[in-house]
Amino acid sequence: MNIAALAKLAGRNATRKPLRTALTAGMVVVGTGLLVVSLSWLNGIFGGMIDQAIGASGHVRIVKQEFLDREKLMPLYENIPEVQPILDAVTAHPDIVAAYPRIMGGATVTVGEEIGEVFGLVQGAPAEYFTKWVQLDAALTEGRFFEAGTEEVVLGHEVAKRAGAKLGDEVVLLGMTQDGSISPIKGELVGIVRQGNGLVDRGIFVPFARMQWMTDIPDGAIEVVAYGREKGGAIPLAAALRDLPEVSGLSVQAWSESEMWANMLKMVDAIRGMLVFVLVFLAALGVWNTMMMSVLERTDEIGVMRAMGMGRLGAVLLFVGEASAIAILGGVVGVGLGAIPAWYLTKNGIEIGEQVTQNIEIPFSTTMYAELSPDVMVQAFAMGLVMAVIGSALPALRAALIQPVVAMRNGR
Amino acid sequence: MHKTLILIAFALLSLPALAVGQDAPKEELPSVEDLLRGIDQNMVFETRTATVTMTVEGKRRTRTFTIQSYGRGVDESAMLYLAPSRDKGTKMLKKGDELWMYLPSVDRTQKISGHMLRQGMMGSDVSYEDMMQSTEMAEMYTASITGQESVDGRPCWVMELVAKDDSVSYPKRISYVDKETLIPLKQELFALSGMLLKSWTMGAIKEFEGGRKFPTKMVITDEVKKDSRTTIEFPEMTFGIELEEEVFSQRWLERK
Repeated sequence: MNIAALAKLAGRNATRKPLRTALTAGMVVVGTGLLVVSLSWLNGIFGGMIDQAIGASGHVRIVKQEFLDREKLMPLYENIPEVQPILDAVTAHPDIVAAYPRIMGGATVTVGEEIGEVFGLVQGAPAEYFTKWVQLDAALTEGRFFEAGTEEVVLGHEVAKRAGAKLGDEVVLLGMTQDGSISPIKGELVGIVRQGNGLVDRGIFVPFARMQWMTDIPDGAIEVVAYGREKGGAIPLAAALRDLPEVSGLSVQAWSESEMWANMLKMVDAIRGMLVFVLVFLAALGVWNTMMMSVLERTDEIGVMRAMGMGRLGAVLLFVGEASAIAILGGVVGVGLGAIPAWYLTKNGIEIGEQVTQNIEIPFSTTMYAELSPDVMVQAFAMGLVMAVIGSALPALRAALIQPVVAMRNGR
Repeated sequence: MHKTLILIAFALLSLPALAVGQDAPKEELPSVEDLLRGIDQNMVFETRTATVTMTVEGKRRTRTFTIQSYGRGVDESAMLYLAPSRDKGTKMLKKGDELWMYLPSVDRTQKISGHMLRQGMMGSDVSYEDMMQSTEMAEMYTASITGQESVDGRPCWVMELVAKDDSVSYPKRISYVDKETLIPLKQELFALSGMLLKSWTMGAIKEFEGGRKFPTKMVITDEVKKDSRTTIEFPEMTFGIELEEEVFSQRWLERK
């Protein structure tokens, strides 16, 4: 029997028992539908988290290895003493869109005469870094962002609340120099931001030059954060930047090469793999059940076909083809049905609230969005076919092993 | 039996040697109280002014500060930073148990308390807590003389000091006290666990009016941090002058 004839027969067989076909297709519909929703959800949550985090940390990060080794202690003395040559070399690279110097350190915040005990993480960087990449201008709840070359300060809303600070107040920040000496700066509070995550809401944001003064790193920075055209291209971009002589001796790391994100991505892949495995397995189990019933009911028919010259392979292809035909139909419907809630979650998300996110130090939005994409729909549809092939494999093998004479005798 | 006889014979033969030893003059151990009193007589003063140069050699760079210092007894001291320009105008005031710092760049006075006391003054190896301690050893420590050693060619008494209560920064110290000048040429400062925290050496001893001897150079090494050392020198120092009352007041701190 040729393939075309088998395909035609498979398609006809698929319509012979509408209820059984509907049941089989239903398994695939549910499986693919759930895949569309869950993969969209997974991509949305982690994609959003990654976008926010690398918005702050850059696609590529250049820092001293000694600083990285002890990063949790924030050793300011492990700084890049002359940062401008590095910035010039990095921004000259054709694949770099922007690069910024950055310094972070702890400080207490005071409004008024008495030095207080409200503590926050001070971030000093050019204003454009905060507004364009960290998107803090969108997070402003009051006032505006600071202007370059000024002594203005922006506070996260939690810090402002605890310090009792309001717009226009003179804020004193008591930090440390790179040598560990007490070092203060002051400035006018011009803006308050709120993004629903600890890093921003408990943060303090100052112009880069002010932070350089406070930490006594006059011409340097702790790190350079650089942005390429897309986050997916960070690894080759980091490799290219490592060749620059200006960064010799420094650590040049793509965002996905950092230990935290490398582990996170592995975890996301594992979750995705498990999700796909479970849904495909369950749907395949359902397909196996209905296809096995079909083989058992049609034993004599299979015997006749085998006696008429259909080989074992033909028998396998017949049943796999039948299941695949059903899966194509089920897959289209499943993807369509799954896309509806996935689209809704992509547009509106689910609000999880600041209670959950404010204690998370990595940037995490208070609203979790899905990310429905053509990739997700194609993947789900393809998995539908996989469900059919896996589910029908054993029944098809059983059909292939039927002895024609035995089948015809038993079927009489 | 043979061995016993030999031992007895040896002991008897040694007696003349011991008798000879007895005739040589033995150095008399001073009493601990006298030693501590002698140290305090040199190191504790009624009033003092000094120009101080403090050089902090850190992990990555060396900084030098010039300070005008005033002291009255063990409970009051004031410091005005003259250089470098970044720190010029910074003042510190110690009165009793309180330590204050005036920060000219923000025109604010900060009380140094709690965990901040353990930080190095201007990033040096001398902590704010070190500055707070009374230098009258006899009040804070129980001392014993454990031996003799030479430090930089100077014969010294080795004195072990154990703190009388736990509130002291260094529960144990070993001081190497110059036998002649009664200046502690070297001090090793230990934590309660026995871990060596700091070493403090004193040198360039000068004699001042009234017979007081005082070191004009001190080197403090943080044995925990490593790669870090602070040298304090006194190019100018005067004892016993009259100081304005206002110098040891909050008003002086905030005066521009």
